[in-house]
Amino acid sequence: MTFDRRRLLQALTAIPVVGGVIAILSPLFRYLKPNDKPWQIFTVAPDAPAGGAQIVGTTRSLAKPWDYFYFTYVQKFVQYDPTGFKASNIPGVAIRLPRKVRFANSQGFVGYRGETDIVLFQRICPHLGCIFNYEPDWHNVTAGYGGFTPPAFERHALMACPCHFSIYDPEYPADPGNVISGPAPRGARYFEFHIDGENIVVTGAELGGIARIEPADAAPPARGGEHTRAPS
Amino acid sequence: MEAVLSNLKEWLRDRKEHLDLFDETKTARQDNPLYIVGGLVWLSWMIVIVSGVILMLWYIPTTTAAYRSIEHITLDIPFGWLVRGMHKYGADMLITCITLRIYRMYFAGEYKKPGELSWMILFASLVLAMISGITGYLLIWNQRAFWAAKVVLTVPTYYDEIPVLGNLGLGRAIAFIFLGGPAVGQAAITRFYAIHFGISAVFAILAEIFFYRTRRRRLNLSPLAIGLVLGFLAFVSFDRLTEMGRWANPNRTPLPILSDWYFLALYQLVKYMPPLWAGIAPALLIGYGMLVPFMDRTRETRPLERPFFFVVGLLALFYFIVFTALIMLNIAVISRDPPIILGVTFVVLALAFVWEIAHRRRKAQRAAQPAPRAVPARPAPAPRPAQAG
Ligand code: FES
Repeated sequence: MTFDRRRLLQALTAIPVVGGVIAILSPLFRYLKPNDKPWQIFTVAPDAPAGGAQIVGTTRSLAKPWDYFYFTYVQKFVQYDPTGFKASNIPGVAIRLPRKVRFANSQGFVGYRGETDIVLFQRICPHLGCIFNYEPDWHNVTAGYGGFTPPAFERHALMACPCHFSIYDPEYPADPGNVISGPAPRGARYFEFHIDGENIVVTGAELGGIARIEPADAAPPARGGEHTRAPS
Repeated sequence: MEAVLSNLKEWLRDRKEHLDLFDETKTARQDNPLYIVGGLVWLSWMIVIVSGVILMLWYIPTTTAAYRSIEHITLDIPFGWLVRGMHKYGADMLITCITLRIYRMYFAGEYKKPGELSWMILFASLVLAMISGITGYLLIWNQRAFWAAKVVLTVPTYYDEIPVLGNLGLGRAIAFIFLGGPAVGQAAITRFYAIHFGISAVFAILAEIFFYRTRRRRLNLSPLAIGLVLGFLAFVSFDRLTEMGRWANPNRTPLPILSDWYFLALYQLVKYMPPLWAGIAPALLIGYGMLVPFMDRTRETRPLERPFFFVVGLLALFYFIVFTALIMLNIAVISRDPPIILGVTFVVLALAFVWEIAHRRRKAQRAAQPAPRAVPARPAPAPRPAQAG
């Protein structure tokens, strides 16, 4: 009997102790991880950044098949610190394909309603987050990215990542942008967009991947002039 | 339960007594150069700490100023190039010496009783040194550093894709905590700076406690040797001015892009594996390193008397060199290479296993026969031959 009473008392005292621990841990966790909400210790849901509609270019610059341009889409991530959010850039590439495709991938993300020959990919590599390049000539892929030779039907412009040589085919049948070589577990991520007259308007981006980019950090150095800008 | 605990305590007490962190108990064997690497580990570590603290006087840990502040240190400040060179090349030397010492202890079987704890600490120190390396070179804020940080901290996000466990959000949390945000930015520099300094600060204090308790000498090298090391590092700093690389450009990954030399082999490995494995494989390697004293249970220390573990060590050395060479040559045909590598590994390990079994059987037979006195098969508990190192 006494034993049970002791147990009960122990349980009762445990409640404020546990509560106190949570109260202490919660701000500590936000100290470490500023995207946690107050009183939230752990989250599984990924941050849902907000971007909104942004005009990234015009169809005029994509006149011929395999024409392309690079662009940047800016998103905001929620942060529970005094500024409230953090901006980050997603570099992207817009490509004119030689034929119309359904711009939807095997992960179920639909980038464009209906058929399109203009496709927009995020250039953040789905492998480990480097920025991959659009290579208009597949020979450059073979020469520069570890020696991969594409099969005959894929000898056209490709996208290739300098870090671990994942190669993506923008025109991959039924899954444009899918990975055709290298360690990436999936194809290039999409932008969601529509075409408004001449303007290409991005309205969203497929989630996933971390370690995007903060706009403020891309400042060029003064000395030496070694800094190279992205080709486009 | 009690018995297990007291056994463990006894084990710990005994291993602690035999702790040897910088070869300070092996001074009698310094005629073999492989037995001064321990002292060199301590020496280069101290060089790195001292030069690092001096660099802190001038370094500015922000994304916009870091690069220029280091340029300023290297080019404008009197002897700044020397301090930075000592820091960088001292760190290279530190990692080289830890690696050499690991291989020595491995092939000479020094991780066996009573050296288990020393070995585990040494192995952990390699991991910590590599973490210091990666956190340290982000501070320059150049292309190489930026992309290394980004790649390394994207690896943990794949922990959320372990099939059975499901998404616990843990991997993402790890990445987020290290980066301090969704990107490699200012928060990441600040955190990396703290980690970079913190590791050495904490462990330097622990090492001091160790020396204080054991009353051993910190540095068992002759003044001449110390002078030679310092002179050599100073000369290298002068002759090969530490590189700046290019200012980090988050919109462009350069082609080709390499990491620091001690990550190259791992980097090549990451190209060959699915990314989840790239996160698990290093953990397995570390696990193997930490647990090998408990897997290799024979008393034998000579490499040829324990063929399997000898071959595993050789294979590790071989892959380290081959992968490094491959990445420097920019070769990685991902559809062709992995089966070859897996095949070679499997065959070699299988052969090593057969060798081990055959060797044990032969030994058992030899032990069973009453050996003729005049010709002993092997001088039984011989003192360790010098070439064992
Ligand atoms: S980050 Fe692009 S292949 Fe690894």
